[in-house]
Amino acid sequence: MIRKIWAIFRRDLKVNLKDSIALYILFIPIFLAVLINLFTPGINETTVDLALLEGDNPSQISYLEQFAEVELFKTIDQVQQRVEERDATIGIVPENGGYYLMTQGNEPEGIVDYAKILTSFYELDISMEETNSELFDFERTVPPLKKTLVNTMILLISILGGMLIALNIVEEKADNTLSAINLTPAGRLTFVLGKSVIGVLLSIIGTLSLIVITGFGTVNLLQLLLVLLVTSLLSISVGFIQGLTSSDIMTAAGSIKILFLPLLAGVLAIEMLGDKWQKFFYWNPFYWAYKGNDLILSQSGTWSQIFMYSSIVLLISGIVYLFLAPKIRKGLE
Amino acid sequence: MISVKNLYHSYNKDGKYQVKDVSFEVANGEVFGFLGPSGAGKSTALNILTGLLPLQQGEVVVGGYDLKKVSNERFNKIGMSFEQSNVYSKLTAKENLDFYRKLFDVPTLDSHALLKLVGLEGKEHVKAGEFSKGMKHRLTFARSMINNPEMWFLDEPTTGLDPSIAADIKDIIKEKNKEGVTVFLTTHNMFIADELCDRVAFIVDGEIKLIDSPKNLKLQYGDKLVEVEYMEKGEVIKTTLSTVLPEDKRELQKIIEHHDIQTMHTKEATLEEIFIKVTGRGLV
Ligand SMILES: Nc1ncnc2c1ncn2[C@@H]1O[C@H](COP(=O)(O)OP(=O)(O)OP(=O)(O)O)[C@@H](O)[C@H]1O
Ligand SMILES: [Mg+2]
Repeated sequence: MIRKIWAIFRRDLKVNLKDSIALYILFIPIFLAVLINLFTPGINETTVDLALLEGDNPSQISYLEQFAEVELFKTIDQVQQRVEERDATIGIVPENGGYYLMTQGNEPEGIVDYAKILTSFYELDISMEETNSELFDFERTVPPLKKTLVNTMILLISILGGMLIALNIVEEKADNTLSAINLTPAGRLTFVLGKSVIGVLLSIIGTLSLIVITGFGTVNLLQLLLVLLVTSLLSISVGFIQGLTSSDIMTAAGSIKILFLPLLAGVLAIEMLGDKWQKFFYWNPFYWAYKGNDLILSQSGTWSQIFMYSSIVLLISGIVYLFLAPKIRKGLE
Repeated sequence: MISVKNLYHSYNKDGKYQVKDVSFEVANGEVFGFLGPSGAGKSTALNILTGLLPLQQGEVVVGGYDLKKVSNERFNKIGMSFEQSNVYSKLTAKENLDFYRKLFDVPTLDSHALLKLVGLEGKEHVKAGEFSKGMKHRLTFARSMINNPEMWFLDEPTTGLDPSIAADIKDIIKEKNKEGVTVFLTTHNMFIADELCDRVAFIVDGEIKLIDSPKNLKLQYGDKLVEVEYMEKGEVIKTTLSTVLPEDKRELQKIIEHHDIQTMHTKEATLEEIFIKVTGRGLV
């Protein structure tokens, strides 16, 4: 059976490597990774730039210089000018005996938080030694935008896997070769598994390339693999259905797009909506997969958390699969 | 061996049957043919025997496997050539065959040798999508024998092929049969049925009207046909009538009584004429 599954996968790969649309899908993960790198600062380059008033408070300045790039200006106006430039510099200016953060509004949340914490640490007189562990954590903190993008792309790649499967099923249908396969000792299960391999591999290899290129290569790969596999189950079932119900490649690729909707809804709900809205998205497997991936990407997920999220995704995908399976079986006849 | 008892099939399960109460047996090593016009239900019956269509009603045993029990293993023993060729157009001829070889659990034939056998030598590395209709058909046909099947199902093996290719295919079928392969074929071509089949079944509207060997049929009907040319309202009418069937005898009597006979002679019947006599229908 393994031999036949492998033969089916090799055939798909051979065809896909010669087909421009399939090739495009195969290489999208790499494009995405490069794009993310171009538009978001890398993890290692995360530096926080602060603009301060010269001579205002030398001890504060030397304290902050330990943790951030500090630039000094003569007047508050000059500080403001610096803050308004394109990068994410944050001003720290005295006001009514205390200090306030001068921001432009578009700085990444993490950087603002970092600056806030630095100033409060200074005010609380927390020394380098005492804060070591926490500051270390901050230094490794990933810009949230980048993490969000990478997480979204991981989910997107699993959908691409489904798309590739749909494409290959459409090919079988167009050539009417399913009936020939049905008359070989390779059973339906072998066929379904064989056809799934390329989708799962695209998910795994695509995601690995994505996280390595974008600098997340040190996350817990086993945890990532687990979430990936359960998410793929959903994309694969949908891929089969769309392949079996579409008559040509473009409709198949197009109809897979219906998965983008729950994907985006899940991401936006988590990133933009308040607590009271969250429960409206509990049905959405991408919502849970995103949460799981988020923990993995920030390297703070425990196995029990990841197991919990994966089980929820598996449960929802499983229900979708059970619902689609009879149609898939019928379509393969 | 193939054994079929009281086979029925209704595509829409609406009480209308496209295959009705069909029963027959095919012995090992025999070439058995379904001869009938388009839409008679030949492919439907064949597809049930191969397992492409589900068995709705009746008893079917193919090569020792009862079709009521699912078993993928039996596909190692059967081969099928489709009416409409179905190969991967994005793969080359050789890649197509190489892929199918891997799906069987039994020893398979070498792709190159098979392509040579069906006259596709030199086309191994051409994509099947660039093949002509006849070439695709030959590739589909070649694929059907890749696993050395004991039971070989051929749906219209020569339809739409140019005569020399059709002749090659007929030779291959005869050759395989000599090696002991049991062949079940469908055709609406009486020459194929006549030349290849040990026995034929006449099938019309999903029903078998008769099963016999072409030789017996000709013995039975052969000398008993008369071709009559007679005048009716100033026109010459030509008709062939049986001297056995009662209504034909009556018709002949009427013609002799009421019309001017131009010519009249007995003749050797073709299978097609016998088909028309027996079923009241032509083969097209
Ligand atoms: N998928 C289908 N759904 C409904 N009816 C069908 C289907 N396939 C065939 N039929 C009907 O069943 C009958 C028998 O068709 P079948 O294809 O078995 O004929 P055939 O004898 O093989 O004809 P041909 O010589 O043209 O291949 C026809 O009336 C046809 O319209
Ligand atoms: Mg037919």
